[in-house]
Amino acid sequence: MSHLIDAKGKACPIPVVLAKGAITDGADAFTIEVDNTTAVENLTRLAASQGYGLAVRESGGIFALDFARTGAVVKPQASAPAETCTGCGYAVLVGRDTLGAGDRALGTNLMRMFFYSLANSCDLPACVLFLNDGVKLPTLDDQMVEHLNALSGKGVEILVCGTCLNFYGLSEQLRVGTVSNMFDILSRMQGSGKVITL
Amino acid sequence: MDYCIVTFSSTYGAIFAQKVLDGVCSVQVMPVLREISAGCGIAVRFAPESLGAVASALAASSLAPEEYAFYAVTGAGTTLRTEAFLP
Repeated sequence: MSHLIDAKGKACPIPVVLAKGAITDGADAFTIEVDNTTAVENLTRLAASQGYGLAVRESGGIFALDFARTGAVVKPQASAPAETCTGCGYAVLVGRDTLGAGDRALGTNLMRMFFYSLANSCDLPACVLFLNDGVKLPTLDDQMVEHLNALSGKGVEILVCGTCLNFYGLSEQLRVGTVSNMFDILSRMQGSGKVITL
Repeated sequence: MDYCIVTFSSTYGAIFAQKVLDGVCSVQVMPVLREISAGCGIAVRFAPESLGAVASALAASSLAPEEYAFYAVTGAGTTLRTEAFLP
C-alpha cells in the first residue's frame, strides 16, 4: 500500500533524503508532498535515477509526487545541463585558477591537490562550476583535466562559463565539461544544498 | 606497487621538484597521504615505470637527497599500503 511522506516546508535536501529513505526501505510506491518547484525537480531526477515512474499533481501550491517502481533507470544527460540540476548535495564554484590568495605556484599546487582529493572522495559534488580565471583549469591544466574527467565519469556535472572562455580566447580549447551560461550556473547554485566557493 | 610518490621536507622543495620534472615524465600533484604524514604537504605522484627518470632528475638537481623521499603505494582506501624505499 502506498504511503504518504509530508515534506512540505522542508528545504533541500530533506525531501530527497526522505524519499531516498522510502526507496531504501523497499517501497514500491509512495507519495511525497512538497511545496516548492526545486524539490519537484530534485525528486523528478531522483525518481528517474532510481527506477521509479513519477506522476506530479499540483493543487494550491502543494505538489504531490506519486512514485511507482518501474525498474527503468534513466541516467542524466550531460549534454542537457539545464535539466540536470540535482539540487542536492553540493556545488563547487571555481572562480580562479589558483586556490587561495598568495603565491601563485603554491595556489596552483593547492588547487590540483584539492581536485585530486575530491576525485578520490566518496562524497562527490553534484556539479563543479568554472567562472572567470577558473575556466583555465578545464582547458589548459593537464592534471586538472584528468581529475575533472574522473569526476565527470562518476556523474559530476562540469559546467564552464562560455563568456569567460570567450574572454580568454579559450572557447576552442575546452577539454572537459559543458559550455554553459550564467542562467544555468545560477540555477545549479540555487538548487544545491550548499556551494563551496574556491 | 600501483604508483610512486615523492614527499619533500619543504613546500619550496615540492614546487622546485615540479620544475625539475617538467618534461621528464608525467606527474601529478597530490596531498601527502595520511598514512605517511599527518601534516599538510605536497607530494608528487608518478607511474612506477618513470621511477628511474624521476630519481635521476632529482639527483641531478640542487635538491639534497635528505630533502625528499620515495614511497611505493599499493591499493586504496582500507587496503592502501605505503613503503619507503631508496630508488
